[in-house]
Parts: sequence; structure tokens; C-alpha cells
Amino acid sequence: MAAVAAIYDQLKVLSANVLAISTDSVYSHKVFTEVSPSASKVIFPLISDRSHEISKAYRVLNEKTGTAFRATIIIDPEGMIVTKFVNPLEVGRNVYEILRVIQGIQYGRRTGEGIPANWVSGQPGIIRDPKYIGRI
Amino acid sequence: MEFKRDEDVLNDCVQPFCAQTTDLAPLFAAEAYDNVEKKIKEIRLESYRGKWVILFFYASDFTFV
Repeated sequence: MAAVAAIYDQLKVLSANVLAISTDSVYSHKVFTEVSPSASKVIFPLISDRSHEISKAYRVLNEKTGTAFRATIIIDPEGMIVTKFVNPLEVGRNVYEILRVIQGIQYGRRTGEGIPANWVSGQPGIIRDPKYIGRI
Repeated sequence: MEFKRDEDVLNDCVQPFCAQTTDLAPLFAAEAYDNVEKKIKEIRLESYRGKWVILFFYASDFTFV
């Protein structure tokens, strides 16, 4: 949570909004931001999915525990899901990958270029020209 | 024996909805706690049209990590 708060300024530059969601109540969310040093830094809304409706709709509900998986879903301005990551139960997210994916899609849509593996912002993309097929 | 393909076989292979890449994001409205305004408010995904949205699902407010 604090990790996302740390890259929030960079997400704002990309016009990306974070909505955090768990199956806890809003009362729990409130106390969480009051007592947890990392949650106190959170500047995005903490949504309560107490009915499990949202987690189910996005197919990320862990039915054994009644909680959501560590899922990250990126939605574009037209309302389309562009990517969905579901982390292992034990391993936290890589927030830089979230940033990279949004930068990559935005760069790709702006330039028409392809975004190769391990691309990072600032690098060129791949020009979609048939003459390059089989040459990379 | 001649192999005959059932006309409907391909149509029967439609995948269930998995909220995956290229799917439309299911719309929702839900209560949220806003730590900046220090209040409980309603969030509607629909109102974020025109912006990028990251849904950040997590298991629980209070955990060991």
C-alpha cells in the first residue's frame, strides 16, 4: 500500500487513478488509515467490497478465505481492461511494473510502435514495418 | 470412417467471462473511505471514464506484512 503511495505522483502524471479494494468494511478502512503508519500515507480511496460483489465480478475472490487475491487490474480511459496481474499469496506487487505497463501502452498508442520485453520508459519502441519481420 | 465436424462445435467453445485483457471492466458502485477528505463516500467506476484506473485488490487491512 505504501509502495503505491510512493509512486502516486508518477501515476498522476499518466492520469492514472488508484482505487484500492478489500472485503473489509469502511469502518475497518478508517481505523486502518489511523493506526497503520503505511496506510496513513494513502491518498486514494479504500473501497469496501463487503458483499464480495466487485471481487467476484473481476474474478479475483479467494473463496476459501472470503478475501480478494493480490490482483492489479488496469483499466483504460474507454473502460476496457488492459491487463490483470494476480500475485502469489505470499509475494507483494512490483509497483514499477504497473507504472511500466501504463507508460508502455500510452507510448504505444501515441507512436504506433510495438513495446518489446523489458522496455522501460525513455527507450524506443519497435517500428511496425513488414521489412523488419524476422530480422529482430 | 469419414470425420464429420459438428457445425456447432466451434460456437460451443466460447470462454466464460474471466475479466481478462480486452474485456470491458464490470461497472460498480461501492462505499469507500477517503483518507484525504476523512470521510466515507460512494465511488462509481463509471465516473472514471476518460481516465486510467488501477484497481488494487488486497486481502486485508490488518495483516502481518
